[in-house]
Amino acid sequence: MQLRDYIIRRLMVLPILILGVSIVVFTLTRVGGSPIGIYLSHEMTPEEVLKIEERFGLDKPVLVQYIQWLKGIVSGDFGWSGVASAPVAEVFPIKLAATLELATAAGLVALFLGITLGTFAGARRNRFPDHLTRIVAVSGASLPQFWFGILLLIIFWAQLGIAPIGRSDATIFASISHPTGLYTIDAILAGSIRALWDAIWHLILPALTLGYGATAIIARMMRSALVEELQQDYVDAARAKGLAEKLVIKRHARRNALVPTITVIGLTFGFLLQGTITIEIIYRWPGIGRWMADSVLRGDQATLMTYVLFTSVLFLLVNLIVDVIYANLDRRVTLGK
Amino acid sequence: MPNNQFENNVLAKVKDLKVHFNSKRGVVHAVDGVDFEILNGETLGLVGETGCGKSVTGRSFLRLLPIPPGIIKGGAVNFKANLVCTRCSGRGCSECGKSGHKTEKGEQVDLLKISDTRMREIRGDRIAMIFQDPGKALNPTLTVGAQMAEVFLQHRSLEILDMAGLGQIKNKAILRFAKQDVKLFDKILLLLPKARKQKLKVQEAVKIMVSKALSETQVPNPLKLLDRFPHELSGGMRQRVMIAQALACNPDLLIADEPTTALDVTVEARILELIRELQLKRKTSVLYISHDLSLVRRICDRVAVMYAGRIVEIGKAEEIFANPSHPYTRGLMAAVPSNGIPRGSLSAIKGTVPELIDPPDSCRFSGRCPYEVNGCRVNDPKLRKITESHSVACFINDASLSWCAPSFEEERV
Amino acid sequence: MTNPPQSSNITITKDSAFSVKINRFLALLQRLLSNPTTVIGLIIIGLMLSMAIFAPWITTANIPDPYQMPRDWGAVRKPPGEMGYLLGTTNEGGDVFYGIVWGSRTSLQLSIYVVGSTMIIGTIIGSIAGLLGGWVDEVLMRIVDVFLSIPELIFALAIAAVLGPSFTNIIIALSLVIWVKYARIMRAQVLQIKQNDFVDAARIVGDSKFNIYIKDILPNAVTPVTVQATLDMGNVVLIGATLSFIGLSEAGIAEWGVLVSEGQAGIASGRWWASTFPGLMIFLWALAFNLLGDGLRDALDPRLEDR
Repeated sequence: MQLRDYIIRRLMVLPILILGVSIVVFTLTRVGGSPIGIYLSHEMTPEEVLKIEERFGLDKPVLVQYIQWLKGIVSGDFGWSGVASAPVAEVFPIKLAATLELATAAGLVALFLGITLGTFAGARRNRFPDHLTRIVAVSGASLPQFWFGILLLIIFWAQLGIAPIGRSDATIFASISHPTGLYTIDAILAGSIRALWDAIWHLILPALTLGYGATAIIARMMRSALVEELQQDYVDAARAKGLAEKLVIKRHARRNALVPTITVIGLTFGFLLQGTITIEIIYRWPGIGRWMADSVLRGDQATLMTYVLFTSVLFLLVNLIVDVIYANLDRRVTLGK
Repeated sequence: MPNNQFENNVLAKVKDLKVHFNSKRGVVHAVDGVDFEILNGETLGLVGETGCGKSVTGRSFLRLLPIPPGIIKGGAVNFKANLVCTRCSGRGCSECGKSGHKTEKGEQVDLLKISDTRMREIRGDRIAMIFQDPGKALNPTLTVGAQMAEVFLQHRSLEILDMAGLGQIKNKAILRFAKQDVKLFDKILLLLPKARKQKLKVQEAVKIMVSKALSETQVPNPLKLLDRFPHELSGGMRQRVMIAQALACNPDLLIADEPTTALDVTVEARILELIRELQLKRKTSVLYISHDLSLVRRICDRVAVMYAGRIVEIGKAEEIFANPSHPYTRGLMAAVPSNGIPRGSLSAIKGTVPELIDPPDSCRFSGRCPYEVNGCRVNDPKLRKITESHSVACFINDASLSWCAPSFEEERV
Repeated sequence: MTNPPQSSNITITKDSAFSVKINRFLALLQRLLSNPTTVIGLIIIGLMLSMAIFAPWITTANIPDPYQMPRDWGAVRKPPGEMGYLLGTTNEGGDVFYGIVWGSRTSLQLSIYVVGSTMIIGTIIGSIAGLLGGWVDEVLMRIVDVFLSIPELIFALAIAAVLGPSFTNIIIALSLVIWVKYARIMRAQVLQIKQNDFVDAARIVGDSKFNIYIKDILPNAVTPVTVQATLDMGNVVLIGATLSFIGLSEAGIAEWGVLVSEGQAGIASGRWWASTFPGLMIFLWALAFNLLGDGLRDALDPRLEDR
């Protein structure tokens, strides 16, 4: 009952927050320069400029403009992207698929490595795996991802020549159709091992670069949670039953340590989202991150607004889901104690 | 005692046990030379204030000590497990005779020296433990059924396979599943339809065993309990689950570390009764750790009083309560409320338990002792017999004790 | 030997209260320095700071603007060590070593401006929300929530984008993003401490709200704010460099992120140095403050104080 109330309250706050974000985003674009800067050039006459402004409704009051923008978004019109020379709504899903594939791969890497490393370290405190995890955790939080990516490129692409750049090989890309836009899934659907291998091959380095920092976040949390859990009575009770230490850690301590670790998944998600911007620049990955960076430099405000609004909503939703899952699990834990 | 062998009625013998803890301020002598025996089928009460080392002593039987920072500095915990029929755990079956009694004694082992594997065989099977707070000692993320099943799978896998009608099975994956030793590859093998059926049979057998064990602790509807999580149960229920889990394999020795401290008084009585009843039925020895003297008086056959990492008095319960011969024991008794003593005449022992960091070679109670004589701060009293079954570690004999006027009433509570 | 363990008389005077504070500080320092990773962090910070301070003596300052990379078009794309360029030159003949040295100044400015301003703004807003409560708190916290809904880097990128590419705008953008953290910490602290007994005691004695705040609440909130500020000193340089890398600084400025970006073009032709060294500096800077921040958090942890 209490949990349901909690979820309802969170769901009610969500639209308010989204509205708040939209106001912030809209205000930003009206404060700095002209939102149509990308269409203007020095050769234009004042009349021409005025015409363009009129076309985008800039002659109306700000509030009207805001409502118009909101209306557009609700009806699926996110404006025109000057960088992509197409409507934002048209290009966005295609680019988003690329980013999602990259972020998911990185997230899976981070989840697996982070939990494994964290468990290893927590169970072997102050021994080698623990020190290794501390190094990963601290360096992962301090590592500029764009630099780490360039380092990997210097070694594996420029020097050794074994790593590819971009998202796929052009001929292999043309050999199969792409219904989902996620190249690995597309390759599986088409049953082409060559395409699958090519997609994975292109994914490895960017996913590792992006996943390293996220691994650090999860490993660190997992380690401290496991250390905490290992001091609980139920761990000794499990040992008193005669269970092997491996089972005590896997079935008892790790299971419980995963509960607080869930809380950093929201954080990790934000980290992965913003990380895609530089990673996509470096690896020439055609996703929304690189598109955003291009739009920022060329004053493509429609893309910028859509991107910020979209990522924020995604971020809010993930955090909401994480909180609800945690509250659900934590209720069990706190009431149990 | 020739060859360090036990008399027949002795189950376990602790000899000069020393457990120390390294801390930043120095070495804490938590248990500092403890000697006692546990007899077959008896309840031995281990009494003392918080921090006197009674829990550490109890946990030593299972080697459940935080090492490091703890170190077992010396001594031995000798234990002679009863040989039990591995098929039926002494319940009585065709192989071991209908009696089901634990007749033959097993080999004598030092619990502090045996290998980890051997220790795990003993944990939960021959020696089990009940913890202070059942809410903390049960895993909050696993169902009651899943937690209890672990004991059976760990120690009674053969019996389970028999029950499931898979006694002659050759499938290694199922065998390992019944022993909770599933390898990564086994998980795939267990997905095969035949293996899955067998797996379900094993789980069904475990379920029957678990609910049987639960019903012995007078739990209503044990089958319904299996899918519950610990937080859905009351404190008393949780402790019943703990007890059922601990007694699942019919252990020779049960370590009960303040099992009722976290419970309501009304529940406490019923839990105590339950432990007593099951213990008598199964002839299990119990080491009952408590700070509550009146409780120990009710349920224990013998009592050992601990103070600052040492046993200061040990003997039959009647003897100790009739004739407390260590000043500390007397002080403890004076601090216990009981019928007939008027309000206000309860007394506390003055001063506090001394720090156990590098303690001096003297009586640990000196400084707090109202009967202190000159020698007390220089010499260390050893346990000595004052009757056949009653030993005390004090320089003053009981005659002079009763001669001196006790001065515990100095600090009123 | 024979004196009984009676409780000795303890007298507290103002004098001893002061020495208690000093002792506590010394104990804190000892705890900090007993942690080897914290010491490593402190050493790196020390080296970075001295590099920033002595920059004009380490390299000849570029005229007229030392924060602008000097361009030697006669020494383009030189590997480390060649023509007297210790760490090589970029595609545009920029001295990588010069960029690193003066970049430490840029980074120091960035972190001090951002952390300093956000700490003050955040502390004030957080305190107001916590102290006043009611609708003021409600409104301020909703604003904070909205700000926290946008991922840090993306928000800073958006602000810097509309302000136009310049290093100053990066500082402004970061400040607008970071302050909410301090507001949150401060508000939580105020609310928590407001409930403590000694604040009640002060209220009974008749101290005014403001006095209680200055005397009791503020000193207690110093700990978490300090830890956060230390971590942010590294964090903001990391984000700032990322923004520069994307292209939101002026081109040609002596800033590590800009240098990494400038060097990126050459890696295909094997010119690894122009990106590697400046990036390493960003990493070390962030690492050092992270290590120090972690060490501070551990050392200030009240649970550890008695041990």
